[in-house]
Amino acid sequence: MKYSLRQLCCFLVLLLAPGTLLWAQDGSAKPTEKEEEGKKVRFNGLGRTILNQTAIDGSVLDSDTSTIQRQTDGEFLLDLALNATPNDNAEIQAILRLRNEFGGFFGAGVSVEVRELWARGIIADAVEYRAGDMDHVMTPYTFFNVEEEGRINEATAFAPLRDVINYEQFYQEGNTRRIQGAKLDFGLDFTQILNEIDLNAFAARIRGTDFFTVPTRFIAGGQAQFSTDVFDDSLGLQADFGLNLIHTFDDLRSGNATAGIRNTVTTLSFDVTIIDRDNLGLHLVGETGQSNLQFKQNRDSMPDFEEDDTFLDAGLQLHLKPQKLKVGLSFIDVGPDFFSIGAQSKRIDFEAEKTYYNRLGENRDVRMPSTFDLTRDRALYTFRLSDRLGVYDPRFSNALPYGPATPNRRGLRFNASYGSEADELEVFLDGALLNELRGQGTFELKSFALIRAAANLNIHRWADWKNNLRLTLGYLYEQTNRDGVEVEQIDLTSNLLELGFEFELFTNFELLAGAKLLSASGTEYVPLIEEFNDVRDFPTRLNFDDTETLIAAGFKYTFKKGIYLTLQYQSFESQLGTNNPNDYQLQQFFAIYNMNF
Amino acid sequence: MKTSIQYACGLALLLFLGWGCQHDTDTFDGPFLVDRFGEFAVVTNLEVSQPTVDFTAGETVFFTAAFNKNVDWIVEITGTESGAVRRIEGFDREVAAGNATWTGGTTDLPFFSAENCSVKLLVPEEPDFVDSVMVEVLTPKVYEGSLFTNFEEDLGVNAEIGNFEFEFTNNTTRSNTAVPPAEGEFVFYLEGTDDVVPNFFVGLVAIESDVAGATYAPLPTKVPEELYFNCFIHGDGGPHTIAIVEFVVDSNDSGNYEDGPDALFRVPDDLRVTWEGWNHINYPMSETGITEEDLEKLVAIRLVLISDRNAQPDPPLTVDFGIDFITFTQGAPLQL
Repeated sequence: MKYSLRQLCCFLVLLLAPGTLLWAQDGSAKPTEKEEEGKKVRFNGLGRTILNQTAIDGSVLDSDTSTIQRQTDGEFLLDLALNATPNDNAEIQAILRLRNEFGGFFGAGVSVEVRELWARGIIADAVEYRAGDMDHVMTPYTFFNVEEEGRINEATAFAPLRDVINYEQFYQEGNTRRIQGAKLDFGLDFTQILNEIDLNAFAARIRGTDFFTVPTRFIAGGQAQFSTDVFDDSLGLQADFGLNLIHTFDDLRSGNATAGIRNTVTTLSFDVTIIDRDNLGLHLVGETGQSNLQFKQNRDSMPDFEEDDTFLDAGLQLHLKPQKLKVGLSFIDVGPDFFSIGAQSKRIDFEAEKTYYNRLGENRDVRMPSTFDLTRDRALYTFRLSDRLGVYDPRFSNALPYGPATPNRRGLRFNASYGSEADELEVFLDGALLNELRGQGTFELKSFALIRAAANLNIHRWADWKNNLRLTLGYLYEQTNRDGVEVEQIDLTSNLLELGFEFELFTNFELLAGAKLLSASGTEYVPLIEEFNDVRDFPTRLNFDDTETLIAAGFKYTFKKGIYLTLQYQSFESQLGTNNPNDYQLQQFFAIYNMNF
Repeated sequence: MKTSIQYACGLALLLFLGWGCQHDTDTFDGPFLVDRFGEFAVVTNLEVSQPTVDFTAGETVFFTAAFNKNVDWIVEITGTESGAVRRIEGFDREVAAGNATWTGGTTDLPFFSAENCSVKLLVPEEPDFVDSVMVEVLTPKVYEGSLFTNFEEDLGVNAEIGNFEFEFTNNTTRSNTAVPPAEGEFVFYLEGTDDVVPNFFVGLVAIESDVAGATYAPLPTKVPEELYFNCFIHGDGGPHTIAIVEFVVDSNDSGNYEDGPDALFRVPDDLRVTWEGWNHINYPMSETGITEEDLEKLVAIRLVLISDRNAQPDPPLTVDFGIDFITFTQGAPLQL
């Protein structure tokens, strides 16, 4: 591999521009921010204790005699990271996890496992490599871990539990996905026309085989990102563009499991700087490409099923620098059959079994995931890649349930932002006006209106206080409509309001409060999706008249950065219409002691 | 140079942008919502294309109706005298010649005879809905194939009832009363109890091919893989009856059925008659191991009644089965 990469480098050097300069860059995740220079072996990690007391009440229990109304649980956890640097060009890390469930003793409920294992380094001062566990991201249409629904600008009161979810599911900044494999990364500098090229490639196994029906699944991809010289100094005209390829495939020689899929996505991404001046920036940004999905009964046969589709996402981003204002407008057109496993796999598995009160009522019906669950239940979340479009809850997201790469959408997206954390006021707004390209169950098309707004009022900066005092606001509005005869008509409106308050009463001692208010009313059909993303059925016509209220209050004491204790009380109420026998309330008291070391 | 590159990049970008908007939007995903959730209504009532039909003359009859949406529907034709039932099923918003034509066949035996038939249109998801008409069958359908016997004529000397162990009852004979016939008015009924010589065997009946009008059975083809044996067997739902059909080949060219010298062929597995009512039994003759040469001299068919003694109580119960419409077809089983 090293030999071939060097050959490739030499070829590119000769072909494109004499006099280039090799350089390396590190796109891989850092083991920790606490690396200490000079030491060969370092220990760090995370310790965490969670204790929960959860209670349920409400009319749903009137006819339900089997649900335990109060339960206590928790865990004690230590992730011990051993990081070694055997030489200047190599580094290895292993994280061992020791976990004991609350109430577990003498081995019961105790687990010891390897949470993370990787090695990385630099070959010949030019090519970076990494093998083992890694976090990787490409573009929003190829390999991208899109944010979960149910939050816009979540109050800090919910952050401790959110951090647990993010840590457990390896959700990192930058929408990376956790995979296990290997990757290479290197760059080239040029002196004419092109400024630099960054090349990276990776391969990972994302599923094992059972040797009978489930084949081993791999994912591999790469990017060639080009950056040009500035063409026009007066405007700052310059272009960055990338060629992106991602290929998910089953190994059709996995024992008796000889049938599997191929999913290939190729895209061109671009960021053309039209104007870049001190007071103004204007960019043409976007991505366009194609997906292909195949199913083969065996390795050498022709595909039994094959589907292609394309997408386009292009728009302008304007930055008024003195005004600290950014606005953007883009046109998106994502084909109904566009499928990208790496970009459309959701974080939330709405069909997963919930930790708390998964079934309720006389008939032990599965409880719908609520804002309570989405805010705190790690069991609903996954980092796994799905080979079909996952289930979604239209109350939380109906316009773009699979993120930017949601198939079957055409329309406009817009965004605006003002300020930063250092300002008294930060405001963020984005939205979309979209239509379906192909109907679901009818030739009539749905139309979607989406608005997401967030604001942070940094009162301590306005009042020039040393201690933090901040109000946060998040608001989501979604409207879905469809015309037609009575059974085709859809009219779903949902609102999610988030409020947050944080006040540093004493140094490092914060009072926290937060609320989430969800309302959804109207009708919608949620498709039952089968293999190859075909809609098998619309099981029922959903009539929503739901209100959910989640309120949290407590305090957080930070001993030092990364080490804190928080105690909170949360109250949740779910109302399904008026006097619905399935209404319920949850109360939860919890304590978290978290220590990064 | 830079300008050319800019133009080239711009052109490539425009091509990509144009290419990115082509999609397949001529259809929609999933089942039609109106079919799935729309309220059901009848647009046109059930009608029959003609009041009488002569199937022997090659006539057919079709039914028409229309709904406001696609639904699962069933046209159920019932012979008022025979009790025969023919069901035609579909999923459509229209019942028409293309999907609801009756050629005289049957779904639930017996066969239709010349009789009046009631025709009902049913929609399973709308249990309160039913529409009906009448149609008269002037002559019933003539089925393809080479009929060995339908037991409508007296078998006479062509039937040899081997009751060596005296275990057959007197009911073992051609009958029009033992069980309702599958076709015509007569069947052959075998009944007995394995209580004299407890050896599973109750008795056998050999029917010589003369019953079909020739020394050797007339067959539509002599290729075993292409030749299908068909018959209807009636069970009473009891668990102990086993029926065996054996094909007798005139090995010594005597022109007669002779137990001993003649070769016997049968399918390897016993036929356990555990069902209640009639059942269409069929298989290619190749499953018996018979050859093309043997089929030139098919001199008789033997019906054997076996009692599953291992499962019988003590004393053993009576076992029985009825058989009707023994016929051979070419290329495929008899199409009802």
